[in-house]
Amino acid sequence: KSTACQGCPNQNVCATKPKGPDPDVGDITEKMSKIKHKLIILSGKGGVGKSTFTAHLAHGLSSDNDKQIGVLDVDICGPSLPKIFGVEGEQVHQSGSGWSPVYVDDNLSLMSVGFLLSKADEAVIWRGPKKNGMIKQFLRDVDWGEIDYLLIDTPPGTSDEHLSIAQYLKESDVDGAIVITTPQEVALLDVRKEITFCRKVDLPIIGVVENMSSFVCPKCKVSTQIFPASTGGGQKMAEDMNVPFLGSLPLDPRIGKCCDEGKSFLTEVPDSPATQAYKQIMSKIVEYCTKRNENRESDSGEMKTN
Amino acid sequence: MDSLEILDEKLTECPANSEDAGRSSVCEGCPGQTLCRMQGGADPDQEIIDVRMGAIKHKVLILSGKGGVGKSTVAYLLSLALARCQSSKVGVVDLDICGPSIPKLFNVENQPIVQSPYGWKPLVSPNEDVKVMSVGSMLDSDTTSVIFRGPRKTGLIKRFLKDTFWGKLDFLICDTPPGTSDEHMAIVKLLKNVKPDGAILVTTPQEVAVATIKKEISFCRKMGVAVLGLVENMSGLVCPCCKETSEVFPGRGVVSLAESHNIPILGSLPMDPKVTECCENGRNPLENYPESPTVQGIMEISSRLIGLVNNG
Repeated sequence: KSTACQGCPNQNVCATKPKGPDPDVGDITEKMSKIKHKLIILSGKGGVGKSTFTAHLAHGLSSDNDKQIGVLDVDICGPSLPKIFGVEGEQVHQSGSGWSPVYVDDNLSLMSVGFLLSKADEAVIWRGPKKNGMIKQFLRDVDWGEIDYLLIDTPPGTSDEHLSIAQYLKESDVDGAIVITTPQEVALLDVRKEITFCRKVDLPIIGVVENMSSFVCPKCKVSTQIFPASTGGGQKMAEDMNVPFLGSLPLDPRIGKCCDEGKSFLTEVPDSPATQAYKQIMSKIVEYCTKRNENRESDSGEMKTN
Repeated sequence: MDSLEILDEKLTECPANSEDAGRSSVCEGCPGQTLCRMQGGADPDQEIIDVRMGAIKHKVLILSGKGGVGKSTVAYLLSLALARCQSSKVGVVDLDICGPSIPKLFNVENQPIVQSPYGWKPLVSPNEDVKVMSVGSMLDSDTTSVIFRGPRKTGLIKRFLKDTFWGKLDFLICDTPPGTSDEHMAIVKLLKNVKPDGAILVTTPQEVAVATIKKEISFCRKMGVAVLGLVENMSGLVCPCCKETSEVFPGRGVVSLAESHNIPILGSLPMDPKVTECCENGRNPLENYPESPTVQGIMEISSRLIGLVNNG
């Protein structure tokens, strides 16, 4: 209703929306409270490897059989995760406690709009509000159970899906965002905007991962920068934007192949430099989450004694 | 909570792009119902858009569905090839509101958008004098994020078409963001009366990308947009050291997709680090590296496109 709203195409919708807190946020917060750590994987730029990274982070975390991992794919228009996990065509079931995610492994589950489409090739041509409604349903109605990690994979951009996630998870104590980029400036341009977005919505940033850093020619073994870091790449950008840099991942063509075949690159090619790099980045993320837990517990401990 | 059966029906039966938008029985309870109802029906700005777009011979959308396959790069290279090799007057409108790459590619980053009595003056790139319009040129700094929900993005896209003084052009290339959402619906709706020539679909070889292209083909079919053809980007990498071509994103999906859907392959573009470097620095690869296989590839694609739009 502000003067800044004059002429905005969204004005009528905003003005007539019911005021007051959204009751669904309460339900979502309650569901999220059973999940120890919530991580959001963002980019801003498309095709940098968000879904690939999310899937492999999930595989890596779930290699500890005592941990339960859930993955939520909020890319409504281009849901890649069912394919990357090798569970395309699986069905989602409904029970009294909500929608059951699809189990990729005993301790690894996935929810994606891809499972809800009767025909995988059909386009989901939805405007923003409908996508938001779907995301809300995913957060509110999926019964993850009590899990250790929920990884939320997002589409590129800073629009409806991202605003919705930030809004619906506001009270849910999200651990933070992992921002993926590739080295070239055209990608960094979009990723800087994503970092600004995270700050605007008070989403802590765990760090930046630079993907596709270099390509090793399988014939002559010389490393080529396919996406040249003409302005210093992800590391320099992270320094400039004052966010931690988690590491670089080289481009191994077998990664793409594993994703197409629905397999985990970490188990298929354990001796690749890319696998080592994934493991190092993963341990930094786990360390961050563990530390955050300890800080929270000691804070509440202090408050109790006070 | 919707049962899964009802959800499936809603997913496939959403009439957002038709006269029934917001008014069909399937719309009851949908969060987008109010918006669709408001946005359906006749639009007074459409007449102005029709006049502006009427002065442009060919309107071509560059679509993908999957991010990072090189839509903007293909839009850039194609517009240079059309201008240089086909002597065409070309404009590019960047419909990626959240992640606008076009100003950097065209080396117009420091040019401000100026108002004239006839509308916003599009920026003119030093590379082949291509006219460019992008939200990127309206931002104070490159860290400024544009956090718009759908309707606001749609509003801005409309202004790009309605308020920009494009003048007479042979081609308007519309670069889009990944997805099949607000921006894509907006451009198809806004260009409906002036009959765009169609869409070029860009993909990379791997199956994960090709799978999303099938959705994009479905989008085009549902929205009545002709598919002009496929471009396979990043089809291989010519190693600068040993000159062997390696597969970076292995896959054979594009050929089988083209066959099964009866769509021509307009061409394949390998990755050439020299061309990538040009794009990074806003330089013209057609001028600097004319012998590059990527440059050769885009020149062939541009002449195939000319053939298609002139025979259509």
